[in-house]
Amino acid sequence: MADNTTSATAEELRGVLAAAGACGAWDWDIAGDTLIVDPRFAELYGLDPQDAGRALPTATFYQAIHAEDRARIRIAVAGLLAGAELFSKEFRVIAPNGAILWMHGRGQGHRDEDDNAVRFTGLLIDVTDRKRTEERLRVAQSAGGVGTFEYQDGFATVSVSSEFCRLLGFHPTDRLPVRTINAVLLDGESPLIPPDGETPASLDGEFRIHRSDDGAERWIARRGEVIQDGEAGGYRLLGVVYDVTEAKRQEARLRDLNDTLEQRVAEEIVERLRTEEALRQSQKMEAVGQLTGGIAHDFNNLLTIVSGSVEMASRRLDRSSDPRVARALDNAMRGVERAAALTQRLLAFSRRQPLDPRAVDAPRLLAGMSDLLTRTITESIAIAIDAPDDVWTIEADPHQLENAILNLGVNARDAMPRGGQLTISARNRTIAAGEATESHVPPGDYVAIAVADSGIGMAPETITKVFDPFFTTKEVGKGTGLGLSMVYGFVKQSGGAVDIVSTVDAGTTVTLLLARSSAAVEAIDDRQSDDEPQGSSSETLLVVEDDDDVRAYTVATLRELGYRVIEAHDGASALRLLERQEQGVQLLVTDVVMPAMSGSELAQAARALVPDLLVLYTSGYPRDAITRDGRLSPGVDLLAKPFTFKGLAIKVRELLDRA
Amino acid sequence: MIPDQIALDELERDALTEIVNIGVSRAASSLRKMVGDQVLLSVPSIEVVNQRRAARLISEREIVDLVAVRQDFSGPFSGRALLIFPETNSLELVRAVTGGELSAEEVVEMEHEALAETGNVILNGCLATMANMLKRSLTMTLPEVLRGTGATLFEIDQNSESEGLVLFLYIDFAVRQRDIRGYIAMLMDIPSLATLKELLDEFILRVVGEDG
Repeated sequence: MADNTTSATAEELRGVLAAAGACGAWDWDIAGDTLIVDPRFAELYGLDPQDAGRALPTATFYQAIHAEDRARIRIAVAGLLAGAELFSKEFRVIAPNGAILWMHGRGQGHRDEDDNAVRFTGLLIDVTDRKRTEERLRVAQSAGGVGTFEYQDGFATVSVSSEFCRLLGFHPTDRLPVRTINAVLLDGESPLIPPDGETPASLDGEFRIHRSDDGAERWIARRGEVIQDGEAGGYRLLGVVYDVTEAKRQEARLRDLNDTLEQRVAEEIVERLRTEEALRQSQKMEAVGQLTGGIAHDFNNLLTIVSGSVEMASRRLDRSSDPRVARALDNAMRGVERAAALTQRLLAFSRRQPLDPRAVDAPRLLAGMSDLLTRTITESIAIAIDAPDDVWTIEADPHQLENAILNLGVNARDAMPRGGQLTISARNRTIAAGEATESHVPPGDYVAIAVADSGIGMAPETITKVFDPFFTTKEVGKGTGLGLSMVYGFVKQSGGAVDIVSTVDAGTTVTLLLARSSAAVEAIDDRQSDDEPQGSSSETLLVVEDDDDVRAYTVATLRELGYRVIEAHDGASALRLLERQEQGVQLLVTDVVMPAMSGSELAQAARALVPDLLVLYTSGYPRDAITRDGRLSPGVDLLAKPFTFKGLAIKVRELLDRA
Repeated sequence: MIPDQIALDELERDALTEIVNIGVSRAASSLRKMVGDQVLLSVPSIEVVNQRRAARLISEREIVDLVAVRQDFSGPFSGRALLIFPETNSLELVRAVTGGELSAEEVVEMEHEALAETGNVILNGCLATMANMLKRSLTMTLPEVLRGTGATLFEIDQNSESEGLVLFLYIDFAVRQRDIRGYIAMLMDIPSLATLKELLDEFILRVVGEDG
């Protein structure tokens, strides 16, 4: 009976142990040097079932342990046998079927009254599944660079994994104080482990840290769950952290690239808009120029006829007998002059006017203008001309330069309706090779002629438009909008530059840069006699003009002056006349733009017949026929249409006298 | 960082851990007799690090000031042993070993004495067991109580070129259901650690034999 009871109890105990996951128990008698194991231990180790409960050699304990773990376990057991109290080791056991099982051996040392170790008892628990799970978790953490943490609200420490410590730069441990963890965060970052009592809504977040070991600044992402633990009201934070620095850096690089891309595109667009604007501007100038040129030719012919006729009528009229007719003719003449000036300006800003540049002494030119300026500009404006004598000689068409300065003076006057100060100055300026100038002129010596007023000034938007033809700030009817664009056209055509500086309510300064000339100053022909120089019948002139009315007027004028005049309506008949003339022709007066044969072609052919023939061109708009780069070719004389009786008389006389 | 001749391999570390385990078990048994209550001590891990790292390691894990009991030892290997607690744990320990009958003032008064005695029991247990297990003998000085941070306890001299090395042992205490954690640190120079390593190898050979 007793045996039955014992075996029943052993059977029950076995069931309990099995339920607890135990795979065997042992009792090591240290003094007796024997080992007693239970049936499950015997079964696990592949012992004879009969050996369970019997005294076995203690070496049995090691026989099923994996060779790689055996030394470790021998050392641990040696510790127990020498008096250590706790045994807690994990090791592999090879089962009879060859399977490798992970066991957790937990044991206790027992001592007698004299503190001598006497017994060592313990249990083996199969932890293979847990070990595999742990392994998977470990690999997942180390391979994925993911650290885990678990924090129970109210505690001062956090359970962490080795990978967690590695990511934050700590020595590997399984527990770290909350303060230690939160100390790695950069100033201003929210804590990685949220403070007690504040149940976080979510664990998702990104944090910047200084890694504890090397101080490197890293980005750490945190993900996980907030777990509410039943009635206790507390919560657990179960989460992971991982390093997202690289992703953050790439993101930043990408953003940078994106930003600069936008910037680069924007710059490119601005540049393109600028180019388009410049192109549009030049196209506009080209279109206006062509239009102007087309009109100017015919228009000036018409003006020549009108002015010639009016002049003729004035000369034949006895002014005292009918003063009203005289006034009407004077008005008509002024109208012609204004019309001619308008055409001239149109040609100037489109840089199509023929320039006759000479060496000019700017101070003398400015001094000569003072009368004209004083007459043009109201008394409420003080005029100062500041041009020292040492200012270099410049190369420019003096009449056009006077025109430009007068234009600027008139603009300045209009900018100072309540009076002010107008200063016209001339200064030497040398532009060095490396010097970047907004004017974009080549390096060299220049004279800067500045016209400065103390008037109302202009806004920057206005300044960008002032050189546009027909742009005007003046009221309708008060300005043509051609003044500044004419100045610009003239200066550009002369190889210089215009600079404009203006401040609203403080005034405007327009500076003309004109190149220095090495030539000596020529005396400007200022013959101001009231009488037209006369010709004689010994002087024969050939007038070639395709416009019959202009030709009739020119011929009549020259005959009236006393010259002998023959005429032709085109180049071919002109050449025939030259061949037939037994009495030599001294001067050829020819239109430039004619059908079939142009004025310059005619002049060339005529000179072949009569080598010392003088040539005077007349033109309302010569195109490129007799100019090079907008300037008259040397030795070419041009009389612009519409010309006056006196103008023609002086020019013809001048040529004949020069020869 | 740690020279090869003194770097402990896994088996040597296990052996040293077990030897210290035997020592702290002895100490626990002595404490039990003093306290008349259950005292459990165990050493789950051991590391050999330099002084600077030891100071950092302990300050990473302990954010309060520390209390330490110090004893110097000499023999075939010499050095300094420290038993270190977070300061908040020291009064707990005093309360535990004095039986919890004392008033707060008395605990504070007794603290120095009690700490020195407890440290002496534990460090003596460890060092004597080490000497015994390694079949050598060591002599020890009287215990001294220190307070400070990791850096001050390990006396890091910024100017010193060579640093001593530290055997760093983490120990768990369980006294009267109170969980108290602490550290045993043994500061040794390189020759002493090299000797210790040799002695551990002898011990392993004795225990494991040809099976290892």
